[in-house]
Amino acid sequence: MSLQDLSIRRKLILITMLTSSVALLLSSASFLIYDLISFRQLLTQDLTTQAEIIGYNSAAAMAFKDEPAATATLSALKVKGDIVAAVLYSPDGKMFARYFRNDETLPTFLPARSQEKGYRFEGRYLEVWHDVTLNGEHLGTLFLQSDMRQWSTRAKRYATICLVFVLISGFLAYLVSSKLQKVISGPIVHLEDTMRMVSANKNYEVRAVKSYADEIGSLIDGFNTMLSDIQHRDTALRGANDELQTRTRELEEEISQRKQAQEELLKAKYVAEEASRAKSTFLANMSHELRTPLNAIIGYSEMLEEEAQDSGTDTNVQDLQKIKSAGKHLLALINDVLDLSKIEAGKMSLHLETFDVAGMIEEIVTTLQPAINKNSNALRVHLADQVGMMRADITKVRQILFNLLSNACKFTDHGNISVDVDQSTEEGLDWVRFRVTDTGIGISTKQQKNLFQEFAQADTSIARKYGGTGLGLAITHRFVQLMKGRIGVESQPGEGSAFTVHIPAQVTLEAVGSLPAEGNSDASDVIADMQADRDTILVIDDDAAVRELMSRFLMKLGFNVLTVPNGEEGLRLAKQVRPVLITLDVVMPDCDGWSILSKLKADSELSKVPVIMVTIVDNEAKGFDLGASNYLIKPVDRERLAVLIEKHRISRPRAITASNTAPKSRPPRAQKRGEVEAEASERFSHAENLTSRR
Amino acid sequence: MPKILLVEDNEMNRDMLSRRLERRGHSVVMAQDGEQGLSMASTEMPDLILMDISLPFMDGCEVTRRLKADKRTRDIPVIALTAHALVTDRVKAINAGCDDYDTKPVEFSRLIEKIQNCLVEKKTL
Repeated sequence: MSLQDLSIRRKLILITMLTSSVALLLSSASFLIYDLISFRQLLTQDLTTQAEIIGYNSAAAMAFKDEPAATATLSALKVKGDIVAAVLYSPDGKMFARYFRNDETLPTFLPARSQEKGYRFEGRYLEVWHDVTLNGEHLGTLFLQSDMRQWSTRAKRYATICLVFVLISGFLAYLVSSKLQKVISGPIVHLEDTMRMVSANKNYEVRAVKSYADEIGSLIDGFNTMLSDIQHRDTALRGANDELQTRTRELEEEISQRKQAQEELLKAKYVAEEASRAKSTFLANMSHELRTPLNAIIGYSEMLEEEAQDSGTDTNVQDLQKIKSAGKHLLALINDVLDLSKIEAGKMSLHLETFDVAGMIEEIVTTLQPAINKNSNALRVHLADQVGMMRADITKVRQILFNLLSNACKFTDHGNISVDVDQSTEEGLDWVRFRVTDTGIGISTKQQKNLFQEFAQADTSIARKYGGTGLGLAITHRFVQLMKGRIGVESQPGEGSAFTVHIPAQVTLEAVGSLPAEGNSDASDVIADMQADRDTILVIDDDAAVRELMSRFLMKLGFNVLTVPNGEEGLRLAKQVRPVLITLDVVMPDCDGWSILSKLKADSELSKVPVIMVTIVDNEAKGFDLGASNYLIKPVDRERLAVLIEKHRISRPRAITASNTAPKSRPPRAQKRGEVEAEASERFSHAENLTSRR
Repeated sequence: MPKILLVEDNEMNRDMLSRRLERRGHSVVMAQDGEQGLSMASTEMPDLILMDISLPFMDGCEVTRRLKADKRTRDIPVIALTAHALVTDRVKAINAGCDDYDTKPVEFSRLIEKIQNCLVEKKTL
């Protein structure tokens, strides 16, 4: 421990002691030095005086060359203990008589001959040279040598006394300072103790006690002020902390509540989705089940009508026509309800393609010609020059126009119907505008309000007179919305109506993961996003939520995932991509999973790809008969799915993830056209004698 | 008198269609499912086949595919009858090799016209 690190108490004691000791030592030393110097002068004088006395006493002996007398005189110096040697030299410098304190030992330093008179110090010795004269005659020289024994004894004694005195005074200084240092160190130590206590206990209520009004006193004051500041802040901080904790707890509770609510919402959503799916499935099945007996009703009534016509029973013919017409109305109703239910279930997906607007209008006009002629109406079609190609769901655009035009035909008698198509730019978007005007019965303002609502035909009497389901415009409206377009009506009762539809010239898909249904769409875009070292699973399901969930889950399992909303697209993609596994839904709006499964199993390239059925339809036996590897009932048990997939993964070697097989060429245009007409004609029950050729 | 093979699982539809076709001067033979239709096509050698697409066990598309793969039955025109009012079903039927299609419930006059067209085309071949 260095001096600086000593405690204040020790420092104070040490400083006091050092200070007093240094002062004492300095004063003692100066006194000692002074005394020793004066004492040496005294000794010199004394020795000089003795030299004079001895010189005087031995002058006669020198004069008479009486050596024994001179020696005797010198011997008298025995009483002077400090005289080491005394020598008398004759004037020629020879030693005449001598004395040594110890006879037997000859001092080596004895000068051989006499020197100048006076005194000098030679080492520890004082030497005096004195001329021996008698009556002015030089007789010789006396040499005295003293070892200054008295002087050194005195010096030692003085030094001892000084030392003792210093020690005693040091001790006393220690006693006094250790008492007095408390005046300074006491408050500091107290301050330190207080500080330590505060920091150890974190108790900011403690205060240091102020003893004196000196600097330390103000230090303690400052310390106390600081403490009360800290205490104040500590209290505030603790308060804030408490508040924070309360808020955090509240937030946590809120979060957990929200989570719970979210879970409940998700559950509810799932239940709702399931219900909706069940509803759609029910509706799809129902419509099929309803259509089959209707088929018979219409068929038999037509047959009977023919027979009645042949046999000429006209009353029967009319009645049978009523049965037939009611049956057809019911059929149209079922078709519309099915469409609407699909829209509501979100199952109505868009199949985008780029097509020529003029060509489409031409097709519709051809199909509708019989309806136009029926009420002797005249049709005028005008296409603006800038209208060319548009990208949308052609089937839905066609149905929109078909519905509007057949309404115009239905509600106009001997009038004019016109179709105007042009293109405009609004808010940076290109729009194609279709405007269908007629000079028919028109729609009142009141009726216009509910025009696009389901089952809201303007008047029940209208239904009786003109027929129709009241769903046509609702469906039209929904289709327009589906393509992010808008529809409007202007009408005066008795004057006619004008329906205007705006559809984006480039309709875009919002749904992620669904692929355009067109055969010429390039799946290589999708393939480019896939990781080359991963196997691919193809998910065929019409439900976007299921596709999304499966996709995420399977990607987590380390697969590339391709999802398609319909079976035909699935088949096409399967051929192109060669997945290691396919999951397949059964109930899809556009196709039947069973037939897709059969096709997959009939395809020589794909027959070995395991297919897991993922469906709500409980018909395992059928699935296995058709060649499915596994059968899972929705909602899917993910763990089981993972186990099944893992099984398939182990049982087969890794395959090529993507092949660059060119997509199958799309069906010829004529074929598409035929299909178009069939679709349209179904919508329009009065269109007779339609043919479709390949 | 042209002979028509009607492959249809629904008894009422079968009865009604067959009677109406007979009234129009066709001779009609009937099969209840795909398998029977397949065998009758080769034994009866009809001039035309009306094929219901949604048949149990083996669907109409599959039957048609097999018919078109067989040398003997390859040239018999097949008109598919699709129950679903959906475009994709018709595409499926055409892809399977059907010469034409019509949707159920049948517009009889339209169907007759299609039958006539197919028979004429067959003759010109």
